[in-house]
Amino acid sequence: MFYLRYLWAELTRRWGKTLTISLGLAIASAIIIVIISVSQSLSAAQDKVLNPLQNVGTDIMVSRSVSPENMQSLDETTRTEMMSENRISTDLSKLGNPGDQFVNDTFLPGTMLTFASDEMTKLDSSLVKESAAGLILNVVHQEGKIPQVTAEFQTGGEQFEVNQQIEPMTAEEQAAVDAAREKAMTDLQAKGINPHLEEGRQYVRDATQKAMPERLKSMTFRFTAPQRTYTQDVGAIATDIKTTNFAVAGVDTSKIDIGLILPDQIVSGTYFTGADQVIASKSYADKNNLQLDGTIKLGDKTLTLVGIVEPKLYTNTADLYLPLSDLQTLAGRENRINVMLIKSTNAESVEATSQKLASAFTGAKVTNAQDTAKEVSGSLVSAANLTNKFIGITSMVVIVAAFIIVSLLTIFSVNKRVREIGTLKAIGWSNTRIIRQIISENIVLGVLGALVGVGLALGAITLLNHYNISLSATIGNSDIGFGMARQFFGGGREATNGVTTTVPFKVTYSYIVILLGSLVALIGSIVAGTLAAIKSSRMKPQEAFRNLE
Amino acid sequence: MAIIKAKNIVKRYRQGTKIINAVDGVNLAVEKGDFLAVIGPSGSGKSTLLQLIGGLDRPTSGEIEVDGMEITKISDAKLTNLRRDKMGFIFQNFNLIPTLTAAQNVEAVIANRSRNDRKKVMASLRQVGLEQRAHHLPSLLSGGEQQRVAIARALINEPEIILADEPTGNLDSKTGEDIINILGNLNKQHKKTVILISHSDYAKKYASQTVEIKDGKIML
Repeated sequence: MFYLRYLWAELTRRWGKTLTISLGLAIASAIIIVIISVSQSLSAAQDKVLNPLQNVGTDIMVSRSVSPENMQSLDETTRTEMMSENRISTDLSKLGNPGDQFVNDTFLPGTMLTFASDEMTKLDSSLVKESAAGLILNVVHQEGKIPQVTAEFQTGGEQFEVNQQIEPMTAEEQAAVDAAREKAMTDLQAKGINPHLEEGRQYVRDATQKAMPERLKSMTFRFTAPQRTYTQDVGAIATDIKTTNFAVAGVDTSKIDIGLILPDQIVSGTYFTGADQVIASKSYADKNNLQLDGTIKLGDKTLTLVGIVEPKLYTNTADLYLPLSDLQTLAGRENRINVMLIKSTNAESVEATSQKLASAFTGAKVTNAQDTAKEVSGSLVSAANLTNKFIGITSMVVIVAAFIIVSLLTIFSVNKRVREIGTLKAIGWSNTRIIRQIISENIVLGVLGALVGVGLALGAITLLNHYNISLSATIGNSDIGFGMARQFFGGGREATNGVTTTVPFKVTYSYIVILLGSLVALIGSIVAGTLAAIKSSRMKPQEAFRNLE
Repeated sequence: MAIIKAKNIVKRYRQGTKIINAVDGVNLAVEKGDFLAVIGPSGSGKSTLLQLIGGLDRPTSGEIEVDGMEITKISDAKLTNLRRDKMGFIFQNFNLIPTLTAAQNVEAVIANRSRNDRKKVMASLRQVGLEQRAHHLPSLLSGGEQQRVAIARALINEPEIILADEPTGNLDSKTGEDIINILGNLNKQHKKTVILISHSDYAKKYASQTVEIKDGKIML
């Protein structure tokens, strides 16, 4: 076929033009493929990693959480309930004897108000495929020594003066005493006892004493001391009580693929295997130097740390995890939960299911993946937002620029061939044949451009992946309630800045995108070819007579 | 019987505000087998006249008949077919397609024939003595050789009329004479009607008729 040989000759013998145009098309299609692939990969990474609920086998979460913003608009009942749920009363006298070391843990739900666990039975099985209960509490941990309060008073040393008139003895009384002494002296002489010796003297004294009037033998009087008040200011009681906060969660251990933590999220140690066990989040364990098989005192229990868990991005992470029933007992909240994790029967209709659940549980807050994803931040999100924002406009600019450049190049090259085209017309080539020839040339350039473009794009993607770019995603812990508790009770659960996950960023491409990029090159070249063909069809055969080269 | 008849043809161009009468009332009759030499200074309208006769352009007024067919009013497509079937063009700048070999340049004319005849291409090249150079690109050929390829291209369709616009203008005189000899032979041996625009006196050696054009008019 002459046309094909002509085509081949045109492309190979004007290789500069062939290279320029097909490379232009190739770059445009490569940019489109790379941009779209990067954007899609970012979205995919975002969906996968940043759909925090998905990581716990959940797509809907039901709670009664109250946000600080609408605290004012709460009805009185809820407000009262919240106040009573979050009351701390530390009665030191009940914690031991003064001077004893004490530890006191108070479990508070914060703004995540609790509800009866049998609310779970209200879940409509046509909407809910799986569900798990959870109880997330803030622990206000106090420890210190029970203070001994002592006040010391010293009394005594006061002097009182007592004055009392005593009546002297009458003559008869004196006579009776004298008579008694005479008789005693006589008795002594009769007994032969010397009255001047001790024995005699004593005898005389007793006898005379006896004869004394009763009035002088004893004296009785009443004395009232003046009233006085002692005031001792004991000052503030010095204590060394330290308060810390952390979050503890009760995990529904009857489920293994839905729950606040899942067995496959354990990074070392094991999942719950028996009684009195606790699992710590990796960040909490690291911060507090917790060792596996070590013990943790919580409330009145001593628990063994059996596992370290890396909770996936999730709005409700805790520091320590216990089986739900253990926590309920420990916290004195039997049969109470404050979060329901739900997997809907139909992944497509999460939104609809959310709405139905919201109407089934009045006053409940129903959160789905879309809501939680909004709380995610980090470089992954920034990158994804950026590409989402610019992908459209960038693609358009690239496509338009490519079309313009390629069209100009093609028209320019046709203009350079004006004498050639004139000659072809002069020797009897019809417009149709000339148009067909020029469009064919451009289709080949387009195919070439598409092939090179796909190659460039795959190369660029491989290169991007080679650099192991990683992006981070952070989700804020929705511990607004705990934060509030902290404000009320002081102490500090060191702000857990949510969970940060590093995502290795791999660019993947789909055949559709490759096809799309190829189409850009192909359509670009056809558009350019058409413009050039129209231009050439308007050229006159007498252009063949142009004497300029 | 005249194969080409031109009756009072006028071609007017507008160049800015000026109107130029490139061809200004030319009457011409070329008999079959004639060798018409057209001479005249540059800008006199010789090339325009040749384009009008060759069906590459249409006159502003007047009639042109080629082989008994009035061509000034027919469609572009018919004009294209007329050029392909009845005319062979030879240009001052040879106008070979630079990316095609000598043989391919010749073949281009018959490209859309259902069976394009390579043998004919070679025969055509042989006629101008260029069989050996058939697969060379124009850039590897000398000016004379390129013009001979152009003649071969003009002949492949076996046209009755050869239209040559200063074919020797870019050649040295010796080569130019060779080219004119070829055209002369085509006229003498193959009975082709030749219309040649040339400055060369050598052309007069073959011319059966010579017209001089000045300011778009034939000088008598």
